[in-house]
Amino acid sequence: MITTVVGNYPKIPPSGQGVPSLRASIQLLDQGKLTPAQIRVVQEQNTVDVINEQVQAGIDLVTDGQVRWDDAITYLAGAIEGFTLTGLVRWFDSNTYYRQPVCQGKLAWKGPITARDYTFAAGHSPKPVKAVLTGPYTLAKLSVDAHYKDLRAFTLALAGVLNQEAKALEKAGAKLIQFDEPAIVRNKGDIGLFKEAMSALTAGLTARTALYTYYGDIQGIAPDFLKLPFNVFGLDFVGGAANWNVLRDFPKDRELAAGILDARNTRMETVDDVAQAVKRLSKLVPPSRLAVNPSCGLEFLPRVSARRKLDRLVEGVKKVQEVLA
Amino acid sequence: MTTGLWTTAVGSYPKPDYLLQARNKATRKEITTAELNKLERQATEMWMHFQDEIGMDLPVDGEMYRGDMAAYFGENMEGFTTSGLVRSYGNRYYRKPIAKGAVGRRGPITVEWWRYAQSLTSRPVKGMLTGPYTIADWSFDEHYPTREAFIMDLARAIHDEAVDLEKAGAKFIQIDEPAVSVRPEEMEIAVKAMAVVTKGLKAHTLTHMCYGNFDLVYPGILRLAVDQIDLEMANSNYDLLAYFKKVPFTKYIGLGVVDVHTHRLETVEEVKRGIKLTMEVIPPERIFVDPDCGLKTRQVDEAKAKLKVIAQAVREVKKEMGISDSPLPGKLPEAARR
Repeated sequence: MITTVVGNYPKIPPSGQGVPSLRASIQLLDQGKLTPAQIRVVQEQNTVDVINEQVQAGIDLVTDGQVRWDDAITYLAGAIEGFTLTGLVRWFDSNTYYRQPVCQGKLAWKGPITARDYTFAAGHSPKPVKAVLTGPYTLAKLSVDAHYKDLRAFTLALAGVLNQEAKALEKAGAKLIQFDEPAIVRNKGDIGLFKEAMSALTAGLTARTALYTYYGDIQGIAPDFLKLPFNVFGLDFVGGAANWNVLRDFPKDRELAAGILDARNTRMETVDDVAQAVKRLSKLVPPSRLAVNPSCGLEFLPRVSARRKLDRLVEGVKKVQEVLA
Repeated sequence: MTTGLWTTAVGSYPKPDYLLQARNKATRKEITTAELNKLERQATEMWMHFQDEIGMDLPVDGEMYRGDMAAYFGENMEGFTTSGLVRSYGNRYYRKPIAKGAVGRRGPITVEWWRYAQSLTSRPVKGMLTGPYTIADWSFDEHYPTREAFIMDLARAIHDEAVDLEKAGAKFIQIDEPAVSVRPEEMEIAVKAMAVVTKGLKAHTLTHMCYGNFDLVYPGILRLAVDQIDLEMANSNYDLLAYFKKVPFTKYIGLGVVDVHTHRLETVEEVKRGIKLTMEVIPPERIFVDPDCGLKTRQVDEAKAKLKVIAQAVREVKKEMGISDSPLPGKLPEAARR
């Protein structure tokens, strides 16, 4: 059993911690007092800091914290041909916002978007790094389609673009590529076109792949969902308690990444809470095919709380492993 | 004779540069609270005079003394502490309230500011509150067993605040609930909470909502116990009107006619078009005209220019359609309020 994270990580360390402030630096960039090249250095320093924090907490499989991402949408959409970024729209049921992309022409991959980020992170982490992308269906649902005027065509076009991005990540050495698709648990009726999109997305990939959902459960679409061509399925047991009901039929040739700590609230789970959840999970999916992580990216939390959540996660898993050993 | 089409604003205005700088200095303890307060009053006075100048029927105090709309209440209530920085979007961060224990009022929160604003104008000033559902949704909760328990404690506190505003003389009380529109499965809780907040109030009550998926919440929001619902209409190109053609809008509407998230200044003509389009579906005696949302993210000059465009557009529409100036309306009949 391993511990991991879902994706993003809070960018603002408590004051006095020794990396240049990303927030202040971006303000200076906006005022023309720093160059994009200088910002990149600050982003890299903060990325190393975020990786170190995950490693220190004892997380086995880390991410780059998506330090460079403004949100789950614009970092990718802003780099894909055919999209224009527009006004702020609320991200699901949260008090955070993303810039909504409008598709105004044929979508095309212009070149690697995240490959360099992966290379940097992998080169600065003592632990394995997974690459994380927002999936084509979620990108499509959260954008405005003024070109294809058809959700299926739009989603498949995005799947094609992200397939190229995934191949670029493979080329950069990524061994595990994760796709986040929170939108599907809120739109289960689209499972048909979702299946098509996931096949197009993963076509020809040789790296291991993960499909993550959060903010809800897959009950009702589980039989289809769990057959999708991914090695790992990430399910949220905090925002989607009904996911407990689908585990009895969890396929034997797949791995489960279970979100068991609330990444949206500062209330701290106890080590026992974590241990209980891990024990319950290991009865349904053997530890060799099990990973545990927070319910979604930790960026909803202040940095201090995010770190404490990771500590609890690791302590809870340790406690169970000691008992099992 | 036809009446209606009153002008108002949603709540926040941009803070002048001197106030923004002073707030930063106050955070760093370089100036005293009293010094900051003096500048907050100066800025409030500026906005009150501006609103009088353009003839706004129902002005607001502009919230010169508030940061985030939910956090402000958290900071001034019992049971809350404040979190470290969390991201709102892009490079914008804010501090969220954390409920550490049972939450409630220590005393009046907004009444003194309301009194001050009201002392600067002869027009009625709106009392401005954030609703219980939104405060809860935009806070961390380390105390309550359920979201509903948290929300209902807040509902009782905000009700007490509304009663105090009414006692002070407020004839209009706005209870913002922008968070309601994103979680339709909790509409029942929001409805129940709003009923507690507005229970027994004689003031005209209203709520502002934004950024939602309207498909999921309309017509459910009509069950909120208020006289008026304020909606952003301009930035969705008035497509909500199609919903009102299917299921009639039964309350007063606060009609957002300028986008608050763009630097672009709307023309008088396009605002007039929006108002006239709405009048095909809702009669003018049920319409308040205002910006889509709080204007705090614009520059002071941009905000003023947008408010002037609204004032001009409303004047012209009233003239063209033969709508006379009329006193502000009171409450809806009881039946329409639920």
